[in-house]
Amino acid sequence: MNLAYRLLVAAVLVVSLPAAATSTSEAEKRLQVAINDVVAVADRSPSSSALAGSLRPVLEKYISFNAMTRRAVGPGWRQFSADQQSKATQLFTTLLIRTYSKKLTPGEYPVIKFKTASAPAPGRVEIPTTLNYKGSQYNVTYRMEESEGWRITDVLIEGVSFVANYRTQFDATFKKGGSTAVIDALSQSVANVPK
Amino acid sequence: MKRHPSILPLVVLLGLVPLLGACTSNPRKQPASATVAAVGSQNAKVKPAKVEENDLEEYEVALVPDPLEPVNRATFWLNHQIYRFVLRPISKGYEKIVPRPVRKGIYNAYENVKFPVRLVNNALQGNFTRARQELEKFLINSSIGVGGIIRQSDRIPELAEVPRTDTGLTFAKWGMSSGPYLVIPLLGPSTFRDTVGLVGDAALNPVSWVAIMTGEFWVVVFPYTNTLRSLPEQLGTYDSVTENALDRYLAARSAFIQYRKQAASR
Repeated sequence: MNLAYRLLVAAVLVVSLPAAATSTSEAEKRLQVAINDVVAVADRSPSSSALAGSLRPVLEKYISFNAMTRRAVGPGWRQFSADQQSKATQLFTTLLIRTYSKKLTPGEYPVIKFKTASAPAPGRVEIPTTLNYKGSQYNVTYRMEESEGWRITDVLIEGVSFVANYRTQFDATFKKGGSTAVIDALSQSVANVPK
Repeated sequence: MKRHPSILPLVVLLGLVPLLGACTSNPRKQPASATVAAVGSQNAKVKPAKVEENDLEEYEVALVPDPLEPVNRATFWLNHQIYRFVLRPISKGYEKIVPRPVRKGIYNAYENVKFPVRLVNNALQGNFTRARQELEKFLINSSIGVGGIIRQSDRIPELAEVPRTDTGLTFAKWGMSSGPYLVIPLLGPSTFRDTVGLVGDAALNPVSWVAIMTGEFWVVVFPYTNTLRSLPEQLGTYDSVTENALDRYLAARSAFIQYRKQAASR
């Protein structure tokens, strides 16, 4: 490796490292604010059943449901009309919020330990955390992207990605019946409220 | 997961084990063009929206060979009914009767006792640092932690987050492929490799030894308590994965595969 190349690499590192550190720091702060907001709303909620409704506006502020839906559907998304994309996003958002809020119990407080975050690409940050909640410990990783501020685009619990999990299901449904089948399946799941 | 042969089904029932445990497959990227082409004709009347984002192939479809899918789906349906009508009421009763701190203590004690599973498998994987950490955890929790009831080792940063391991993960690290996906009656999601791994785990689990070496009473008490202590967490995981799924079977399979893949990579 010649000297000029080494200097170039060094210069790139000097410039990019602080930028990466800044982005991870900003994303971490945003995530911390999001978690605090969610906990505050959950704490004020009179019951678990009322939680999904009160959490919705808060989660929509911090989570990019558009990106999550798009990526969960995958390449088939190109075959959706604008109306279908909007409908699918709305339904998928409802499912995700329901899934998330079901795990929260008013009055229970999570203890979250942030680990070293990484920036796999410009504008993207992965924040691994350890979550202690209701006596159990979980490894939770938040994927965040800078788009109208830092927003969560996926959550991985013990390595299981929300988006990837639905990607498998959407893919099978799409292959059977296209975008219409995906919308129908989403509508059915939303209508089928778990007890 | 530790069990006595007579209650193997129950232990496995923790088919949920699958969600917490077992295999690595080889996720492949779906050819986007093929996927779209296959369904394109069904959407012929719908004018596609303009998609500017170039992130539609960010995620792969997690795949595992599933030649027995019809049988697996039938077994999955049967397991779901058993979870719903038999195990969930038992789990709720357990949670109602036994206070959380006591449940936690029982859970911790069983996890502590089965440390040979983690110790031996870490050694078999050549990871002697983790094997040492497991031994240290066991010694600390068994003594200061009052027989493993209290996880005192969590106070030591180096020992607080040692990844779990098992025989199936050892096979994965040795390069063995997952083999076909299996849904085991009561136990739930697995693969051929992880099912074989369950035998190794049972052989290394002192709960199994005690059940075999002692009389009838213990034969019943140890394995069933072991199963019972895991029920709330296992069923909670199962519900989280399947409750709002479009296809419960695919959701459980995907989650299992992702979980095992991630566990094998650590």
